[in-house]
Amino acid sequence: MLRAFGRLLGVQRRNGPWSLFNSAGPAQRFTTCPELRHKQMPQRPKPPPEDEIEESFLKGSGPGGQKINKTNSAVQLKHKPTGIVIKCQATRSRDQNRKIARDLLAAKVDILVNGDKSRAAILEVTKKKKADSAAKKRRRKYRSLEEEAEAAKIEPQIEAESGTGAAGTGPKQILHDEVYPL
Amino acid sequence: MPRLPPSLFWQARQALSPLAAPLLRVCRDLPSTANELRWMREHIAVTPSLIPPKLRLWQFAERRARGEPLQYVLGTQPFGDLEIKCRPGVLIPRPETEAYTIELGRILLSSHTNNPKTKLITILDLCTGTGCIALQLFRQLQASATLLRVQGIDISPHAVSLARTNLSHNLNLNNLLVPRPPTEEANQSQTIRFTQADIFSPSFLTTQQQQQQQQQQQNQDQVDLDLLVSNPPYISQPGFARDTARSVRNHEPRLALVPELRGGSDDATQFNKGVLPEDIFYARLLDIAKTLRPKRVLLEVASMEQGSRVVDMLTQDDDTAKLYPHVEIWRDCPHAEFQRQTIGDREIRIRGSGEGRSVYLCRADM
Repeated sequence: MLRAFGRLLGVQRRNGPWSLFNSAGPAQRFTTCPELRHKQMPQRPKPPPEDEIEESFLKGSGPGGQKINKTNSAVQLKHKPTGIVIKCQATRSRDQNRKIARDLLAAKVDILVNGDKSRAAILEVTKKKKADSAAKKRRRKYRSLEEEAEAAKIEPQIEAESGTGAAGTGPKQILHDEVYPL
Repeated sequence: MPRLPPSLFWQARQALSPLAAPLLRVCRDLPSTANELRWMREHIAVTPSLIPPKLRLWQFAERRARGEPLQYVLGTQPFGDLEIKCRPGVLIPRPETEAYTIELGRILLSSHTNNPKTKLITILDLCTGTGCIALQLFRQLQASATLLRVQGIDISPHAVSLARTNLSHNLNLNNLLVPRPPTEEANQSQTIRFTQADIFSPSFLTTQQQQQQQQQQQNQDQVDLDLLVSNPPYISQPGFARDTARSVRNHEPRLALVPELRGGSDDATQFNKGVLPEDIFYARLLDIAKTLRPKRVLLEVASMEQGSRVVDMLTQDDDTAKLYPHVEIWRDCPHAEFQRQTIGDREIRIRGSGEGRSVYLCRADM
Protein backbone atom coordinates (compact mmCIF):
# COMPACT_ATOMS: atom_id res chain seq x y z
CA MET A 1 0.00 0.00 0.00
CA LEU A 2 2.73 2.42 1.04
CA ARG A 3 4.84 1.41 -1.92
CA ALA A 4 1.95 1.96 -4.30
CA PHE A 5 1.43 5.41 -2.83
CA GLY A 6 5.11 6.20 -3.27
CA ARG A 7 4.96 5.11 -6.88
CA LEU A 8 2.00 7.37 -7.41
CA LEU A 9 3.94 10.30 -5.99
CA GLY A 10 6.91 9.40 -8.16
CA VAL A 11 4.73 9.42 -11.23
CA GLN A 12 3.39 12.86 -10.49
CA ARG A 13 6.81 14.24 -9.79
CA ARG A 14 8.09 13.10 -13.14
CA ASN A 15 5.59 14.89 -15.32
CA GLY A 16 8.13 17.59 -15.99
CA PRO A 17 11.24 17.65 -18.16
CA TRP A 18 11.07 14.60 -20.40
CA SER A 19 13.76 15.84 -22.70
CA LEU A 20 16.38 15.88 -19.92
CA PHE A 21 16.97 12.15 -20.15
CA ASN A 22 15.86 11.59 -23.71
CA SER A 23 19.01 11.73 -25.75
CA ALA A 24 18.11 14.81 -27.72
CA GLY A 25 20.49 16.37 -30.21
CA PRO A 26 23.83 17.64 -28.96
CA ALA A 27 22.99 21.20 -29.98
CA GLN A 28 20.26 21.56 -27.38
CA ARG A 29 21.27 23.51 -24.32
CA PHE A 30 19.19 24.05 -21.24
CA THR A 31 19.87 27.60 -20.20
CA THR A 32 17.59 30.52 -19.61
CA CYS A 33 20.12 33.18 -20.55
CA PRO A 34 21.93 32.20 -23.74
CA GLU A 35 23.52 35.64 -24.12
CA LEU A 36 25.81 34.81 -21.21
CA ARG A 37 27.87 32.72 -23.61
CA HIS A 38 29.09 34.94 -26.40
CA LYS A 39 31.33 32.62 -28.29
CA GLN A 40 30.22 29.15 -29.33
CA MET A 41 32.91 26.59 -28.59
CA PRO A 42 33.59 23.96 -31.26
CA GLN A 43 31.44 20.80 -31.05
CA ARG A 44 32.83 17.69 -29.43
CA PRO A 45 34.56 15.64 -32.11
CA LYS A 46 32.66 12.56 -33.34
CA PRO A 47 34.26 9.19 -32.57
CA PRO A 48 36.02 7.61 -35.56
CA PRO A 49 34.06 4.97 -37.53
CA GLU A 50 33.85 1.51 -35.96
CA ASP A 51 35.86 -0.21 -38.71
CA GLU A 52 38.89 1.93 -37.82
CA ILE A 53 38.76 0.84 -34.19
CA GLU A 54 40.12 -2.33 -32.70
CA GLU A 55 38.36 -3.02 -29.42
CA SER A 56 39.47 -5.40 -26.72
CA PHE A 57 38.22 -6.11 -23.24
CA LEU A 58 40.98 -6.67 -20.77
CA LYS A 59 39.75 -9.79 -19.09
CA GLY A 60 41.63 -12.90 -18.22
CA SER A 61 40.97 -16.01 -20.25
CA GLY A 62 38.90 -18.84 -18.82
CA PRO A 63 35.24 -19.24 -18.01
CA GLY A 64 32.94 -16.26 -17.91
CA GLY A 65 29.23 -15.72 -17.51
CA GLN A 66 27.67 -17.01 -14.32
CA LYS A 67 30.81 -18.85 -13.23
CA ILE A 68 32.85 -15.78 -12.37
CA ASN A 69 32.03 -12.28 -11.25
CA LYS A 70 34.80 -9.98 -12.41
CA THR A 71 34.60 -6.32 -11.57
CA ASN A 72 37.10 -5.59 -14.33
CA SER A 73 35.20 -3.51 -16.85
CA ALA A 74 38.20 -2.06 -18.70
CA VAL A 75 37.93 -1.29 -22.38
CA GLN A 76 40.92 -0.79 -24.67
CA LEU A 77 40.59 0.86 -28.04
CA LYS A 78 43.19 1.06 -30.76
CA HIS A 79 42.76 3.49 -33.61
CA LYS A 80 44.21 1.60 -36.56
CA PRO A 81 45.20 4.50 -38.88
CA THR A 82 47.06 6.46 -36.19
CA GLY A 83 47.99 3.75 -33.70
CA ILE A 84 46.56 5.67 -30.74
CA VAL A 85 45.66 3.38 -27.84
CA ILE A 86 43.11 4.36 -25.21
CA LYS A 87 42.35 2.40 -22.05
CA CYS A 88 39.34 3.26 -19.96
CA GLN A 89 38.00 1.94 -16.68
CA ALA A 90 36.23 5.03 -15.42
CA THR A 91 33.01 3.32 -14.37
CA ARG A 92 31.87 -0.15 -13.35
CA SER A 93 29.81 -0.46 -16.51
CA ARG A 94 31.58 -1.78 -19.58
CA ASP A 95 28.94 -0.23 -21.80
CA GLN A 96 29.57 3.22 -20.34
CA ASN A 97 33.32 2.68 -20.51
CA ARG A 98 32.99 1.89 -24.21
CA LYS A 99 31.27 5.23 -24.80
CA ILE A 100 33.77 7.16 -22.66
CA ALA A 101 36.73 5.50 -24.37
CA ARG A 102 35.33 6.43 -27.79
CA ASP A 103 34.98 10.07 -26.71
CA LEU A 104 38.56 10.09 -25.36
CA LEU A 105 39.81 8.56 -28.60
CA ALA A 106 37.93 11.13 -30.65
CA ALA A 107 39.55 13.94 -28.65
CA LYS A 108 43.04 12.48 -29.13
CA VAL A 109 42.53 11.99 -32.86
CA ASP A 110 41.19 15.53 -33.07
CA ILE A 111 44.34 16.90 -31.43
CA LEU A 112 46.54 14.88 -33.74
CA VAL A 113 44.71 15.89 -36.92
CA ASN A 114 43.75 19.50 -36.23
CA GLY A 115 46.59 20.61 -33.95
CA ASP A 116 45.98 24.20 -32.87
CA LYS A 117 42.47 24.18 -34.30
CA SER A 118 41.34 21.15 -32.32
CA ARG A 119 38.64 21.52 -29.69
CA ALA A 120 41.04 20.79 -26.85
CA ALA A 121 43.53 23.43 -28.04
CA ILE A 122 40.82 26.06 -28.51
CA LEU A 123 39.39 25.32 -25.09
CA GLU A 124 42.88 25.60 -23.61
CA VAL A 125 43.45 28.98 -25.25
CA THR A 126 40.07 30.28 -24.07
CA LYS A 127 40.72 29.04 -20.58
CA LYS A 128 44.14 30.69 -20.52
CA LYS A 129 42.69 33.96 -21.76
CA LYS A 130 40.09 33.89 -19.04
CA ALA A 131 42.66 33.07 -16.37
CA ASP A 132 44.99 35.83 -17.61
CA SER A 133 42.25 38.41 -17.63
CA ALA A 134 41.15 37.34 -14.17
CA ALA A 135 44.73 37.62 -12.93
CA LYS A 136 45.04 41.04 -14.49
CA LYS A 137 41.84 42.21 -12.83
CA ARG A 138 43.02 40.79 -9.56
CA ARG A 139 46.35 42.59 -9.80
CA ARG A 140 44.65 45.84 -10.68
CA LYS A 141 42.21 45.50 -7.81
CA TYR A 142 44.85 44.74 -5.21
CA ARG A 143 47.13 47.47 -6.51
CA SER A 144 44.37 50.06 -6.08
CA LEU A 145 43.50 48.59 -2.70
CA GLU A 146 47.11 48.85 -1.65
CA GLU A 147 47.30 52.42 -2.82
CA GLU A 148 44.18 53.27 -0.87
CA ALA A 149 45.57 51.60 2.21
CA GLU A 150 48.81 53.54 1.89
CA ALA A 151 46.92 56.76 1.45
CA ALA A 152 44.87 55.92 4.53
CA LYS A 153 48.10 55.23 6.41
CA ILE A 154 49.57 58.61 5.48
CA GLU A 155 46.44 60.60 6.35
CA PRO A 156 46.37 59.91 10.10
CA GLN A 157 50.04 60.85 10.20
CA ILE A 158 49.24 64.15 8.62
CA GLU A 159 46.43 64.72 11.08
CA ALA A 160 48.66 63.82 13.99
CA GLU A 161 51.35 66.09 12.69
CA SER A 162 48.94 68.92 12.13
CA GLY A 163 47.84 68.36 15.72
CA THR A 164 51.36 68.79 16.98
CA GLY A 165 51.91 71.53 14.42
CA ALA A 166 50.19 73.89 16.85
CA ALA A 167 53.46 73.91 18.75
CA GLY A 168 55.11 75.12 15.60
CA THR A 169 57.81 72.44 15.23
CA GLY A 170 56.22 70.04 12.62
CA PRO A 171 57.54 69.65 9.08
CA LYS A 172 54.40 71.21 7.69
CA GLN A 173 55.11 74.28 9.66
CA ILE A 174 58.62 74.32 8.29
CA LEU A 175 57.30 73.84 4.78
CA HIS A 176 54.87 76.61 5.31
CA ASP A 177 57.63 78.80 6.60
CA GLU A 178 59.76 77.96 3.60
CA VAL A 179 57.07 78.78 1.09
CA TYR A 180 55.84 81.83 2.77
CA PRO A 181 58.71 83.27 4.73
CA LEU A 182 57.45 85.83 7.15
CA MET B 1 45.37 -19.53 -6.56
CA PRO B 2 49.05 -18.51 -6.58
CA ARG B 3 50.47 -16.96 -3.43
CA LEU B 4 50.93 -13.19 -3.51
CA PRO B 5 54.35 -11.88 -2.44
CA PRO B 6 54.32 -9.95 0.88
CA SER B 7 56.03 -7.03 -0.88
CA LEU B 8 52.85 -6.51 -2.87
CA PHE B 9 50.87 -6.01 0.35
CA TRP B 10 53.46 -3.46 1.49
CA GLN B 11 53.21 -1.69 -1.82
CA ALA B 12 49.40 -1.60 -1.58
CA ARG B 13 49.62 -0.14 1.94
CA GLN B 14 52.15 2.48 0.92
CA ALA B 15 50.85 3.45 -2.49
CA LEU B 16 47.09 3.17 -2.07
CA SER B 17 45.70 3.03 1.43
CA PRO B 18 45.93 0.94 4.61
CA LEU B 19 42.60 -0.55 3.52
CA ALA B 20 44.13 -1.77 0.26
CA ALA B 21 46.13 -4.56 1.86
CA PRO B 22 43.14 -6.70 2.92
CA LEU B 23 41.39 -5.91 -0.38
CA LEU B 24 44.37 -7.26 -2.26
CA ARG B 25 43.48 -10.76 -1.04
CA VAL B 26 40.37 -10.78 -3.23
CA CYS B 27 41.37 -8.35 -6.00
CA ARG B 28 44.73 -10.09 -6.61
CA ASP B 29 46.51 -7.11 -8.22
CA LEU B 30 47.19 -3.44 -7.53
CA PRO B 31 45.27 -1.80 -10.42
CA SER B 32 42.00 -3.59 -9.66
CA THR B 33 42.43 -2.90 -5.92
CA ALA B 34 42.86 0.79 -6.70
CA ASN B 35 39.78 0.72 -8.93
CA GLU B 36 37.59 -0.98 -6.34
CA LEU B 37 38.69 1.49 -3.66
CA ARG B 38 37.91 4.35 -6.03
CA TRP B 39 34.45 2.96 -6.79
CA MET B 40 33.76 2.56 -3.07
CA ARG B 41 34.78 6.18 -2.43
CA GLU B 42 32.68 7.40 -5.37
CA HIS B 43 29.70 5.43 -4.10
CA ILE B 44 30.11 6.88 -0.59
CA ALA B 45 30.35 10.39 -2.03
CA VAL B 46 27.03 10.15 -3.89
CA THR B 47 24.94 8.21 -1.35
CA PRO B 48 24.05 10.07 1.84
CA SER B 49 24.30 8.19 5.11
CA LEU B 50 24.44 8.85 8.83
CA ILE B 51 27.59 6.75 9.12
CA PRO B 52 30.75 8.86 8.71
CA PRO B 53 32.41 8.35 5.28
CA LYS B 54 35.67 6.96 6.62
CA LEU B 55 33.89 4.38 8.76
CA ARG B 56 31.74 3.40 5.79
CA LEU B 57 34.78 2.93 3.60
CA TRP B 58 36.34 0.72 6.26
CA GLN B 59 33.12 -1.32 6.53
CA PHE B 60 32.93 -1.75 2.75
CA ALA B 61 36.58 -2.79 2.50
CA GLU B 62 36.13 -5.23 5.36
CA ARG B 63 33.14 -6.91 3.74
CA ARG B 64 34.82 -7.03 0.35
CA ALA B 65 38.00 -8.45 1.88
CA ARG B 66 35.92 -11.34 3.24
CA GLY B 67 35.06 -12.23 -0.35
CA GLU B 68 31.63 -10.67 -0.71
CA PRO B 69 31.04 -9.45 -4.29
CA LEU B 70 31.49 -5.69 -4.75
CA GLN B 71 27.95 -5.48 -6.16
CA TYR B 72 26.45 -6.79 -2.91
CA VAL B 73 28.68 -4.47 -0.86
CA LEU B 74 27.71 -1.36 -2.83
CA GLY B 75 24.19 -2.63 -3.54
CA THR B 76 24.16 -1.77 -7.23
CA GLN B 77 25.56 -2.75 -10.62
CA PRO B 78 25.28 -0.65 -13.79
CA PHE B 79 23.61 -2.53 -16.63
CA GLY B 80 23.35 -0.78 -19.99
CA ASP B 81 21.55 2.50 -19.33
CA LEU B 82 20.20 1.33 -16.00
CA GLU B 83 21.33 0.97 -12.44
CA ILE B 84 20.36 -2.44 -11.12
CA LYS B 85 20.09 -3.03 -7.39
CA CYS B 86 21.71 -6.20 -6.15
CA ARG B 87 20.90 -8.10 -2.98
CA PRO B 88 22.22 -11.35 -1.57
CA GLY B 89 19.96 -14.14 -2.76
CA VAL B 90 19.67 -12.90 -6.34
CA LEU B 91 22.30 -13.39 -9.05
CA ILE B 92 24.36 -10.33 -10.00
CA PRO B 93 24.02 -9.26 -13.67
CA ARG B 94 27.13 -10.09 -15.69
CA PRO B 95 28.78 -7.93 -18.38
CA GLU B 96 28.33 -10.70 -20.97
CA THR B 97 24.58 -10.61 -20.36
CA GLU B 98 24.69 -6.84 -20.76
CA ALA B 99 26.48 -7.18 -24.12
CA TYR B 100 23.98 -9.56 -25.73
CA THR B 101 20.96 -7.78 -24.24
CA ILE B 102 21.98 -4.51 -25.87
CA GLU B 103 22.58 -6.30 -29.16
CA LEU B 104 19.18 -7.99 -28.88
CA GLY B 105 17.49 -4.66 -28.23
CA ARG B 106 19.18 -3.28 -31.33
CA ILE B 107 17.91 -6.18 -33.47
CA LEU B 108 14.33 -5.84 -32.18
CA LEU B 109 14.43 -2.09 -32.71
CA SER B 110 15.65 -2.33 -36.31
CA SER B 111 13.12 -5.03 -37.21
CA HIS B 112 10.38 -2.92 -35.62
CA THR B 113 11.30 0.18 -37.60
CA ASN B 114 11.63 -1.89 -40.80
CA ASN B 115 8.06 -3.18 -40.67
CA PRO B 116 5.93 -0.60 -38.92
CA LYS B 117 2.88 -2.80 -39.48
CA THR B 118 3.74 -4.78 -36.37
CA LYS B 119 2.70 -2.42 -33.65
CA LEU B 120 2.88 -4.73 -30.69
CA ILE B 121 6.12 -6.02 -29.23
CA THR B 122 5.85 -8.72 -26.58
CA ILE B 123 8.82 -10.05 -24.69
CA LEU B 124 8.98 -12.89 -22.19
CA ASP B 125 12.04 -13.07 -19.94
CA LEU B 126 12.28 -16.35 -18.04
CA CYS B 127 14.52 -16.69 -14.96
CA THR B 128 14.70 -12.93 -14.83
CA GLY B 129 16.56 -12.55 -11.49
CA THR B 130 17.16 -8.85 -10.91
CA GLY B 131 15.01 -8.11 -13.96
CA CYS B 132 17.99 -6.61 -15.76
CA ILE B 133 17.32 -8.09 -19.23
CA ALA B 134 13.62 -7.25 -19.19
CA LEU B 135 14.23 -3.72 -17.92
CA GLN B 136 17.03 -2.97 -20.39
CA LEU B 137 15.01 -4.25 -23.37
CA PHE B 138 12.04 -2.21 -22.15
CA ARG B 139 14.25 0.85 -21.94
CA GLN B 140 15.66 0.36 -25.44
CA LEU B 141 12.28 -0.17 -27.10
CA GLN B 142 10.31 2.36 -25.09
CA ALA B 143 10.90 5.35 -27.33
CA SER B 144 9.72 3.73 -30.59
CA ALA B 145 7.23 0.99 -29.70
CA THR B 146 3.74 2.26 -28.96
CA LEU B 147 2.54 -1.14 -27.79
CA LEU B 148 5.07 -2.89 -25.64
CA ARG B 149 4.53 -5.77 -23.25
CA VAL B 150 7.40 -7.15 -21.25
CA GLN B 151 6.99 -9.91 -18.70
CA GLY B 152 9.68 -11.21 -16.38
CA ILE B 153 9.23 -14.51 -14.58
CA ASP B 154 11.27 -16.08 -11.80
CA ILE B 155 10.72 -18.87 -9.33
CA SER B 156 12.32 -17.00 -6.43
CA PRO B 157 10.08 -14.51 -4.59
CA HIS B 158 13.22 -12.54 -3.61
CA ALA B 159 14.12 -12.12 -7.26
CA VAL B 160 10.62 -11.01 -8.23
CA SER B 161 10.46 -8.43 -5.46
CA LEU B 162 13.95 -7.17 -6.33
CA ALA B 163 12.98 -6.88 -10.01
CA ARG B 164 9.97 -4.78 -9.01
CA THR B 165 12.22 -2.65 -6.79
CA ASN B 166 14.56 -2.20 -9.74
CA LEU B 167 11.70 -1.00 -11.91
CA SER B 168 10.69 1.69 -9.40
CA HIS B 169 14.35 2.52 -8.66
CA ASN B 170 15.08 3.24 -12.32
CA LEU B 171 11.85 5.18 -12.68
CA ASN B 172 12.97 7.36 -9.78
CA LEU B 173 16.38 7.83 -11.41
CA ASN B 174 14.63 8.88 -14.65
CA ASN B 175 16.33 6.04 -16.50
CA LEU B 176 12.95 4.80 -17.66
CA LEU B 177 9.84 6.57 -18.84
CA VAL B 178 6.72 5.85 -16.83
CA PRO B 179 4.98 2.81 -18.37
CA ARG B 180 1.66 3.77 -19.84
CA PRO B 181 -1.09 1.57 -18.44
CA PRO B 182 -3.60 0.09 -20.88
CA THR B 183 -6.38 2.58 -21.49
CA GLU B 184 -9.72 2.46 -23.30
CA GLU B 185 -8.09 2.68 -26.67
CA ALA B 186 -5.46 -0.01 -26.36
CA ASN B 187 -3.27 1.42 -29.11
CA GLN B 188 -0.89 3.04 -26.71
CA SER B 189 0.18 0.99 -23.79
CA GLN B 190 3.53 -0.03 -22.44
CA THR B 191 3.54 -2.49 -19.60
CA ILE B 192 6.25 -4.32 -17.76
CA ARG B 193 5.51 -6.77 -14.99
CA PHE B 194 7.28 -9.35 -12.94
CA THR B 195 5.54 -12.47 -11.72
CA GLN B 196 6.55 -15.49 -9.72
CA ALA B 197 6.12 -18.84 -11.46
CA ASP B 198 7.82 -22.19 -11.88
CA ILE B 199 8.52 -22.69 -15.57
CA PHE B 200 8.60 -26.47 -15.07
CA SER B 201 5.07 -26.64 -13.73
CA PRO B 202 2.48 -27.79 -16.30
CA SER B 203 0.20 -24.89 -15.37
CA PHE B 204 2.85 -22.40 -16.49
CA LEU B 205 2.40 -23.18 -20.19
CA THR B 206 -1.39 -23.18 -20.03
CA THR B 207 -1.50 -19.76 -18.33
CA GLN B 208 0.90 -18.37 -20.89
CA GLN B 209 -1.20 -19.76 -23.75
CA GLN B 210 -4.35 -18.32 -22.22
CA GLN B 211 -2.71 -14.91 -21.99
CA GLN B 212 -1.70 -15.13 -25.63
CA GLN B 213 -5.23 -16.04 -26.68
CA GLN B 214 -6.62 -13.12 -24.70
CA GLN B 215 -4.27 -10.78 -26.48
CA GLN B 216 -5.25 -12.21 -29.83
CA GLN B 217 -8.92 -11.60 -29.07
CA GLN B 218 -8.13 -8.03 -28.09
CA ASN B 219 -6.09 -7.24 -31.16
CA GLN B 220 -8.01 -9.42 -33.63
CA ASP B 221 -4.92 -10.73 -35.33
CA GLN B 222 -2.16 -13.25 -34.86
CA VAL B 223 0.04 -12.16 -31.97
CA ASP B 224 3.06 -14.33 -31.37
CA LEU B 225 5.68 -13.52 -28.81
CA ASP B 226 8.42 -11.40 -30.35
CA LEU B 227 11.15 -12.65 -28.07
CA LEU B 228 11.71 -15.38 -25.54
CA VAL B 229 14.90 -14.66 -23.64
CA SER B 230 16.34 -16.58 -20.74
CA ASN B 231 19.46 -16.73 -18.62
CA PRO B 232 18.74 -20.02 -16.84
CA PRO B 233 20.99 -21.82 -14.35
CA TYR B 234 23.48 -23.79 -16.46
CA ILE B 235 26.44 -24.89 -14.33
CA SER B 236 26.92 -28.61 -13.69
CA GLN B 237 27.34 -29.96 -10.15
CA PRO B 238 31.08 -30.71 -10.56
CA GLY B 239 31.53 -27.48 -12.53
CA PHE B 240 30.11 -25.54 -9.59
CA ALA B 241 32.72 -26.97 -7.25
CA ARG B 242 35.59 -26.67 -9.76
CA ASP B 243 35.13 -23.72 -12.15
CA THR B 244 33.24 -21.07 -10.21
CA ALA B 245 34.99 -18.20 -8.49
CA ARG B 246 35.03 -18.25 -4.70
CA SER B 247 32.88 -15.13 -4.36
CA VAL B 248 30.29 -16.72 -6.65
CA ARG B 249 30.31 -20.06 -4.83
CA ASN B 250 30.09 -18.60 -1.34
CA HIS B 251 27.84 -15.60 -1.83
CA GLU B 252 25.60 -15.98 -4.85
CA PRO B 253 22.47 -18.16 -4.83
CA ARG B 254 23.03 -21.74 -5.94
CA LEU B 255 19.44 -21.80 -7.21
CA ALA B 256 20.39 -19.35 -9.97
CA LEU B 257 23.55 -21.24 -10.95
CA VAL B 258 23.03 -25.01 -10.78
CA PRO B 259 19.90 -26.52 -12.33
CA GLU B 260 18.06 -28.71 -9.85
CA LEU B 261 14.60 -30.08 -10.20
CA ARG B 262 12.62 -29.82 -7.02
CA GLY B 263 9.53 -31.54 -8.33
CA GLY B 264 10.75 -35.04 -7.50
CA SER B 265 11.26 -38.09 -9.68
CA ASP B 266 8.36 -37.40 -12.06
CA ASP B 267 9.93 -34.25 -13.41
CA ALA B 268 13.35 -35.81 -13.44
CA THR B 269 12.32 -38.69 -15.69
CA GLN B 270 10.27 -36.42 -17.85
CA PHE B 271 13.12 -34.06 -18.59
CA ASN B 272 16.06 -36.41 -18.34
CA LYS B 273 15.57 -38.20 -21.64
CA GLY B 274 19.17 -38.19 -22.79
CA VAL B 275 19.70 -34.70 -21.45
CA LEU B 276 22.61 -33.83 -19.20
CA PRO B 277 21.59 -32.51 -15.77
CA GLU B 278 23.04 -29.05 -16.53
CA ASP B 279 20.95 -28.85 -19.73
CA ILE B 280 17.50 -29.59 -18.32
CA PHE B 281 16.45 -25.96 -18.45
CA TYR B 282 17.22 -25.79 -22.17
CA ALA B 283 15.05 -28.85 -22.83
CA ARG B 284 12.17 -27.17 -21.06
CA LEU B 285 12.81 -23.77 -22.69
CA LEU B 286 12.78 -25.36 -26.17
CA ASP B 287 9.50 -27.06 -25.19
CA ILE B 288 8.08 -23.68 -24.23
CA ALA B 289 9.34 -22.19 -27.49
CA LYS B 290 7.65 -24.97 -29.43
CA THR B 291 4.30 -24.19 -27.81
CA LEU B 292 4.41 -20.40 -27.70
CA ARG B 293 6.20 -20.04 -31.08
CA PRO B 294 8.13 -16.82 -30.32
CA LYS B 295 9.65 -15.10 -33.34
CA ARG B 296 13.07 -15.01 -31.72
CA VAL B 297 14.65 -16.98 -28.90
CA LEU B 298 17.85 -16.25 -27.02
CA LEU B 299 19.26 -18.60 -24.39
CA GLU B 300 22.44 -17.90 -22.47
CA VAL B 301 24.87 -20.84 -22.27
CA ALA B 302 28.12 -21.50 -20.43
CA SER B 303 30.35 -22.39 -23.35
CA MET B 304 30.58 -23.35 -26.99
CA GLU B 305 30.07 -27.03 -26.07
CA GLN B 306 26.87 -26.34 -24.22
CA GLY B 307 25.71 -24.14 -27.10
CA SER B 308 26.31 -27.00 -29.53
CA ARG B 309 24.38 -29.36 -27.24
CA VAL B 310 21.43 -26.94 -27.29
CA VAL B 311 21.57 -26.79 -31.10
CA ASP B 312 21.62 -30.63 -31.12
CA MET B 313 18.53 -30.72 -28.91
CA LEU B 314 16.87 -28.31 -31.31
CA THR B 315 17.62 -30.44 -34.36
CA GLN B 316 16.45 -33.65 -32.68
CA ASP B 317 12.90 -32.35 -32.59
CA ASP B 318 11.58 -31.94 -36.15
CA ASP B 319 8.94 -29.36 -35.32
CA THR B 320 11.26 -26.93 -33.57
CA ALA B 321 13.98 -27.53 -36.17
CA LYS B 322 11.54 -26.51 -38.91
CA LEU B 323 10.27 -23.59 -36.87
CA TYR B 324 13.75 -22.16 -36.33
CA PRO B 325 15.88 -22.67 -39.43
CA HIS B 326 18.05 -19.71 -38.58
CA VAL B 327 20.44 -20.58 -35.74
CA GLU B 328 23.32 -18.50 -34.41
CA ILE B 329 25.71 -18.86 -31.51
CA TRP B 330 26.88 -15.55 -30.10
CA ARG B 331 30.18 -15.19 -28.35
CA ASP B 332 30.96 -12.82 -25.45
CA CYS B 333 31.04 -9.69 -27.61
CA PRO B 334 28.45 -10.16 -30.35
CA HIS B 335 29.37 -6.98 -32.23
CA ALA B 336 31.77 -8.56 -34.68
CA GLU B 337 31.18 -10.41 -37.95
CA PHE B 338 30.00 -13.95 -38.65
CA GLN B 339 31.81 -17.22 -39.11
CA ARG B 340 30.11 -20.35 -40.39
CA GLN B 341 30.35 -23.73 -38.77
CA THR B 342 28.46 -27.00 -39.07
CA ILE B 343 27.18 -28.79 -35.99
CA GLY B 344 25.79 -32.23 -36.85
CA ASP B 345 24.25 -31.78 -40.30
CA ARG B 346 23.26 -28.22 -39.69
CA GLU B 347 25.12 -25.08 -40.63
CA ILE B 348 25.07 -22.41 -37.96
CA ARG B 349 26.59 -18.96 -37.72
CA ILE B 350 28.99 -17.96 -34.98
CA ARG B 351 29.07 -14.30 -34.10
CA GLY B 352 31.62 -12.13 -32.32
CA SER B 353 34.67 -12.95 -30.26
CA GLY B 354 35.34 -14.64 -26.93
CA GLU B 355 33.75 -17.70 -25.32
CA GLY B 356 30.42 -19.02 -26.67
CA ARG B 357 27.77 -17.24 -24.67
CA SER B 358 24.27 -17.58 -26.11
CA VAL B 359 22.17 -19.45 -28.66
CA TYR B 360 20.01 -17.24 -30.87
CA LEU B 361 17.13 -18.71 -32.84
CA CYS B 362 15.05 -16.92 -35.40
CA ARG B 363 11.87 -18.03 -37.15
CA ALA B 364 11.81 -18.47 -40.93
CA ASP B 365 9.30 -15.67 -41.52
CA MET B 366 11.42 -13.06 -39.79
